[in-house]
Amino acid sequence: MTEAPQLGYARAINQALGEEMRREERVWMLGQDVGRMGGVFGVTRGLFEEFGAGRVRDTTLNETFIVGAAVGAAMTGTIPVAELQFADFMLIAGDEVFHKMAKWRYMHGARLSVPMVLRLPTGVLGGVGAEHSQSLEALGMHFPGLRVALPATPADAKGLLKTAIRDPNPVLFFEHKGMYRVKGPVPEDPDFLVPFGEAAVRRRGEHASVVATGLMVGRALEAAEELAAEGVELEVIDPRTLVPLDMETIVSSVERTGRALVAQEAVRTAGAGAEIAARIQEAAFFSLDAPVWRLGAMDTSIPQSPDLEQLVIPGVAQIAAAARELVAL
Amino acid sequence: MSEANADLELYRQLARIRALELLLNRHISEHGFGGFWHPGLGQEAVQAGAVAALRTDDYLFYAHRGLGCALAKGMPPVTLLADLFGRRGGSVGGKGGGTVHFVDPDIGVLGQGGTVGSSFVLGAGAGISAQMLGTDRVVAIFFGDGAAARGTFHEAALTAAVWKLPLVWVCENNGWAISVPIAEQSPTEDIADRAAAYGVPGVVVDGQDAIAVRDATAEAVVRARAGEGPTLIEAKTLRIRGHYEGDKQAYREDLTDGLEVPRDPLKILRERVPAEEADRLDEEARAEAESALEEVLAMPEPDEEVVTEGVWV
Repeated sequence: MTEAPQLGYARAINQALGEEMRREERVWMLGQDVGRMGGVFGVTRGLFEEFGAGRVRDTTLNETFIVGAAVGAAMTGTIPVAELQFADFMLIAGDEVFHKMAKWRYMHGARLSVPMVLRLPTGVLGGVGAEHSQSLEALGMHFPGLRVALPATPADAKGLLKTAIRDPNPVLFFEHKGMYRVKGPVPEDPDFLVPFGEAAVRRRGEHASVVATGLMVGRALEAAEELAAEGVELEVIDPRTLVPLDMETIVSSVERTGRALVAQEAVRTAGAGAEIAARIQEAAFFSLDAPVWRLGAMDTSIPQSPDLEQLVIPGVAQIAAAARELVAL
Repeated sequence: MSEANADLELYRQLARIRALELLLNRHISEHGFGGFWHPGLGQEAVQAGAVAALRTDDYLFYAHRGLGCALAKGMPPVTLLADLFGRRGGSVGGKGGGTVHFVDPDIGVLGQGGTVGSSFVLGAGAGISAQMLGTDRVVAIFFGDGAAARGTFHEAALTAAVWKLPLVWVCENNGWAISVPIAEQSPTEDIADRAAAYGVPGVVVDGQDAIAVRDATAEAVVRARAGEGPTLIEAKTLRIRGHYEGDKQAYREDLTDGLEVPRDPLKILRERVPAEEADRLDEEARAEAESALEEVLAMPEPDEEVVTEGVWV
């Protein structure tokens, strides 16, 4: 088998969008500046030229319209992929995201479905401030009816997005805007899909299981390299989707290692990591040799200064230190 | 359909809605009700009139008092009452109770949101898919004068007008947003004035005159189908009962007496149809409503499993 070509995370998303729009003409896009400009982060570049203004629709600054219209179009026979410029803007369209996307099918006796994807550039970027840097994926987990994907590699960004577009359920797709330029191998096969609900074990290890999401996956792997030099082997698990959540892989890992550390970029309190930690202790309590620990952003807002923002979210050194301490318990 | 037959059919729909409204009122006053019922008594002409201008495959987002819209669009009264009473035979399988989410995608009834005014953006989306799939379907979005205040109207209207989406907004202006009268909600007398900001027609129509509503809607539908974009129709109507059945309306000084409808749309339409025909349709409507209620009250309650049905496809 030939090695898959190296591609950036943003480019991988772009490829997924193009392939799915070529495969299925009911797939279309809307969002601010997604057309002529190709998106504020350049993710949708070239799609307007290929598919035209009817299928790549530039909207004005109206988030309730972007999400709400996508919901209405999804329940009437099309498959919209809507983009909000920043995941934080979900809160502006809160009713549309958390009620209409999530509940319309349920409220209407399963007589309608809402096959759509909401693309949400998430996380810290370096200087975009408290209202453009948050990691809000836990909100999606709190509203039954929404699938939640959180790709940590270019290949997963492509494969999960293609799965999201083909999923008959509504999907919140949190793409990390700080990782848009990160490169990795990305399969070219137009039917390359990454299934929902299957965690990836990024690294094997026997001393502790680190469950990391999004940006924290790479940081956890770096921390693991550091600890390997000291003779401590961490297992790093990336759930990839939070809804559905592959607890089976996580629990079987913890049953082997006896120790679990959960790392997320989101604020530590009431984040996805808290849910994962709780489920680990419910399912694997008698295998645990130590409490389940969590790392997450401090309970503060993200400051605008790029230097300060890194102080707020977990870094490689913190993950390494926590893992070292946990293994020593 | 000849003009006389169309008027007769319109009367039939008004009579059916009225019969259901009165029956529900009676049933609730005698037996109570598990949820909240938001009566539309007196607003029948807006609902039946506007829906009469739609095709079966056109889309409908009805509003808070929208039983009449769903009925006129073609949903059977048994289904609607089963939804209201939370029985398995309802369109949502027994999840309902109170003001619910009637739905029938086969005839374009796309449901209702619990957050008032949320249909503007959803309706615009249905218009986009009609446009993209190359159909000439039109979307009718009903809303009250209260919902007209929502920012969702602005966000939807702005882009719908630019994209010339096939929408008809039907404002059922009954003068009250729960307890606040229209004069305290709107800086202008007519909500239809707001259409000018979006460069679309804004039409004021007598909401007690079913034929006037039907004709105004028909004109808007022609525009929408022709790709000329949305129209805002404001039908001036009345709220006879409280916001919900049981609301004592202590905030109102203009209370009418009980179930009496000033400028009753049925009486107004009766001038256009033969009296014996109208009497017969009234009688048929009463019988239809009563037999539907009887059938629904005998229906089983849903099984407990219903609470988790339909979360996922």
